[in-house]
Amino acid sequence: MIAVVALLAGVGLGLWLDPTVPAALQPYLPIAVVAALDAVFGGVRAKLDRIFDDKQFVVSFISNVLVAALIVYLGDQLGVGGQLSTGVVVVLGVRIFGNVAAIRRHLFRA
Amino acid sequence: MSDDPGTGRRGGRVYTPDFLTELFRNPLDPGYADAAARRARTGQPARPGWSVGPASLAVVVLLGFLCVVAYRQTIAEEPGRAQARSGLVAQIKQRQGETDALSERADVLREEVNREREAALGGSQAARLRDLEASTGLGRVRGDGVVVRLADAPAGQDALSGGNVGPSRVIYSDLQGVANDLWGVGAEAIAINGQRLTATSTIRSAGQAILVDFRPVTGPYEVSAIGPGSMRKRYEGSRSALTMRKVAQDTGLSFAVRDADDLTLPAAPEPRLRYAEPAVSPSASPSGRDGSSGSGTSPSPSGGGR
Repeated sequence: MIAVVALLAGVGLGLWLDPTVPAALQPYLPIAVVAALDAVFGGVRAKLDRIFDDKQFVVSFISNVLVAALIVYLGDQLGVGGQLSTGVVVVLGVRIFGNVAAIRRHLFRA
Repeated sequence: MSDDPGTGRRGGRVYTPDFLTELFRNPLDPGYADAAARRARTGQPARPGWSVGPASLAVVVLLGFLCVVAYRQTIAEEPGRAQARSGLVAQIKQRQGETDALSERADVLREEVNREREAALGGSQAARLRDLEASTGLGRVRGDGVVVRLADAPAGQDALSGGNVGPSRVIYSDLQGVANDLWGVGAEAIAINGQRLTATSTIRSAGQAILVDFRPVTGPYEVSAIGPGSMRKRYEGSRSALTMRKVAQDTGLSFAVRDADDLTLPAAPEPRLRYAEPAVSPSASPSGRDGSSGSGTSPSPSGGGR
């Protein structure tokens, strides 16, 4: 429950501060969000599996975001930015799907 | 993404046979299992219920923040794109307007030149010049004739078929065929959607658009032709009319030929004289338009083969 409150607090913070993203970081923002979503769904599933771990969650969140941004950055430098971001999105999307399916099984037993 | 799947879970370094298979089978970070195992070893209890540590809460706050920022960013970019597009459209419209105004001015000036020339020339010479201009498409003409109307099939599968020019659309070669057959059955002047055809006119396609003399025309296409009274009947028997009737039957494209009285066809926009040389012997020039199905006016000009 408190996690949901925290999420809403983050949303409110974002709306309230309304920060402008530096132009250099703009391409990495969407992919970072997808990576963050992957970490969060993994965390929720771990919670339901009763193996949640704070350190693992924080580390996986931060490293996911950084690694995803780094991959896209590298791809941009090498001229394959679009393809690499597609790859990142596919891999993260598959993981999100799998974790959400597990969460669904936990919640609805189906 | 964050750490190597397969390490640590069973202690030693085990490479999974296939990354994708592993990804599909077990999407959860192996780190959670490791942590749980470590806790079980050391005897720490797992956090009960839904409570999480402050660090995780901070991360969740960060997530909400990230999502909002990314969302707002995407929303903020959208009008920029739309603006660029509408700016381009406005520029195109403006340039087209300028071109229209300029060509209108050119027409006015040409008319003035014609008047001056007629005033300078004698009566019979001026009349001959007028006739020549009428038959070559450089002068406005009026008369009875036929109007051939072609229109694309009503939209339906167009949105799906996307880029390719399917049979349900009028394509440039249809217009070419119609124009050529109209010349063939004795038309003396032809215009497509008000664009007069001359001996050097082209009808061609550029992407989805049809260009007549490099000016885009859009459907429905009306090919107006001035010619002898029997033209319609003769045209109905021509190859393109038969083909288009069949196509219209099969695909839902519309094709109609009707008689039209008192058509006015404008002059062609530009003479496009590329090579002009003084005539060697002015007396050897042909005797202009003399009415009989215009052998001088039907050099099948609309081929666009070049």
